[in-house]
Amino acid sequence: MKPFDYTAPASLDEATRAGARPATRFIAGGTTLVDLMKLEVETPEHLIDLNSLGDRDPSLATVRELPNGGLRIGALARMSDVAWTANVKERYPALSQALLLAASGQIRNMASMAGNLLQRTRCPYFRDTATPCNKREPGSGCSATHGFSRSHAILGTSEHCIATHPSDPAVALVALGASVRVRGPGAQPSAERTVPIASLHLVPGTHPERETVLNPGDVITAIDLPPLPFARRSLYLKVRDRASYAFALASAAVALDVANGAIRDARVALGGVATKPWRSTAAERALIGKRPGPAAFRAAAEAALEGAVPHGDNAFKVELAKRTLVRALTEVSA
Amino acid sequence: MTTPPTAPPRCDAEECRVPGIGSEAPDFELTDHAGRRHRLSELRGAPVLLAFHPSRWDPSWAECVRVYNRVIASAERGAGARLLSVAPATGWHALSFDDTTLDFPAACLDAGPIAERYGVAGGPAVFVIDGAGRVSWRHTVGDAPPSPNELAEALRASLPTAADSGSSSWSRRHFVATAVAATLAIALTRRVARAEPAVARPRPATAIAPGDAVKLRVNGRELSLDLEPRVTLLDALREYAGITGPKKGCDHGQCGACTVQVNGRRILSCLTFAVMQQGKDITTIEGLAASAGASGDALHPMQQAFIDHDGFQCGYCTSGQIMSAAAMVREPWGQTDDDVREAMSGNICRCGAYPGIVAAIQAVRKGPTADQGGRR
Repeated sequence: MKPFDYTAPASLDEATRAGARPATRFIAGGTTLVDLMKLEVETPEHLIDLNSLGDRDPSLATVRELPNGGLRIGALARMSDVAWTANVKERYPALSQALLLAASGQIRNMASMAGNLLQRTRCPYFRDTATPCNKREPGSGCSATHGFSRSHAILGTSEHCIATHPSDPAVALVALGASVRVRGPGAQPSAERTVPIASLHLVPGTHPERETVLNPGDVITAIDLPPLPFARRSLYLKVRDRASYAFALASAAVALDVANGAIRDARVALGGVATKPWRSTAAERALIGKRPGPAAFRAAAEAALEGAVPHGDNAFKVELAKRTLVRALTEVSA
Repeated sequence: MTTPPTAPPRCDAEECRVPGIGSEAPDFELTDHAGRRHRLSELRGAPVLLAFHPSRWDPSWAECVRVYNRVIASAERGAGARLLSVAPATGWHALSFDDTTLDFPAACLDAGPIAERYGVAGGPAVFVIDGAGRVSWRHTVGDAPPSPNELAEALRASLPTAADSGSSSWSRRHFVATAVAATLAIALTRRVARAEPAVARPRPATAIAPGDAVKLRVNGRELSLDLEPRVTLLDALREYAGITGPKKGCDHGQCGACTVQVNGRRILSCLTFAVMQQGKDITTIEGLAASAGASGDALHPMQQAFIDHDGFQCGYCTSGQIMSAAAMVREPWGQTDDDVREAMSGNICRCGAYPGIVAAIQAVRKGPTADQGGRR
């Protein structure tokens, strides 16, 4: 591992200013970053530890009610704590389930909520410094498009990158319409800006190295869940190679608002198949106004996967994602 | 025994001569972690193993420490002794945890003048000082490395006889063969390491750079370790503190062998830097039973359950499994075996002892009365 210097700033202000320097990384749980630093995929010269900010300001690490009926999750809250928070379990079960289906008990105790959103891809070529990767080394080429691509994305890809976004909770959060609060360098506490999670992540396009709209020094301070009464009937379904502790081959976060035998509102997002947490408004439109049942669910699945681009090894994901979504919708409406 | 790295400069001045066999050991003062001052001479009545090593900890020294501890433990009535390493500026390092009966205070001092008074400033050295305060055995720079047998024999010869100890406070239970591993003032390696960055960067007060001491509280004991920010908690425990219960399996957060508890929660020590865990309560398998209030050799209920239910074969994953399981039972999981399997999915067992592991955890969760298979 490359050497670095370590700082634990005393304030958010100090953190954002320190974080704006080149070759700097923030660290919270460390479960992605330490791993990638060992592989020398990440080689920061400066490491800014945000954890003590949560000790100074507990709101950065806890879940609170919002006046509008939503919830605010502190960016430093740990995945396990959020998953088991009663308000989250009851009002946003898809998020609780996505958290508990992600990683392991130990990792959930370590990983922060904001860090989970910003985790890097598990693409084996990204993680291997001996192979070309446009995300790791812009312009070096993509090894996955012509390599082993079983775990790779079929939605939101470009010829430069087909890496899958690995987060489960992000898929639930994008379905629920959550947003992040972001504080930039030099900004006053009141100057936090809000970014919907749907527009936080970027598809790779010609610049796979750019993964989010965040600027150097930007710190996510919280994740806001909007009031969404029908999210009490939401669900996260994850399909993977083994029963537990594996990344998704395909997953679906769904919520249905059903009244008088018809779907009034719907939320659909897919994971394990896209380059970013993938909300499908096309699938939602296909559901609204329909009677819940196999026909409507299959039509929604077809809409969600329209335009999917398989790459040989991952062609199975097109049908797998459709069936995953149909099953999730079937279970949530049962 | 590993030969530690040696640094040659020796002091030839009169006051720097190495004290000979039978001569009185130069006295010096120690300050314990509570700030109390003690003199070496106050420890008379019990032999003292005084070991000097360079202040920059080299992992190869862990083997030496193990040998010293083994020697002390093997000496009749010497059980319960331990080595303390004394760093010049950063307090003391605990190097072994076999010290449940230890009542010798932790030392905290600048070892420089002491090393000079013993004529060993510049390299590793070991002295055995008998109960009367005389040097009974020594190994200094330039000599062949001491054999463990030689050291054991020297220590044994220095032990008080049954007649000496009598029925007074020097009973077997209270006997302490004190071992102090002091550091050398002249630590060339440390200076070289500090000189490494070509450009000195101004740092805020909270920053830690290579060479700064990292303070960890492990199993209730304060450790001060001289390590870089890039050292993971796992490596700090195993390679710097000699606490080898947490195992290195994959080193990438996939196997769970390195599981420890921080503030009572299970985490992976391979995926966090030691510098990030300062000020927290770190518990390893070595301290698990004591953390649950057990004393002496008593096991934690989860350790006993793993024995009772055959929760392991080769044992490599076991300390991680037990640390994980002991924390998992405090988490709000459901009651079924499948809940246990899901909760424990971050701990891989290559021998496939899973049925025993699930049975052990369920036995602990259901309590001793429901555990028909147990021997408790």
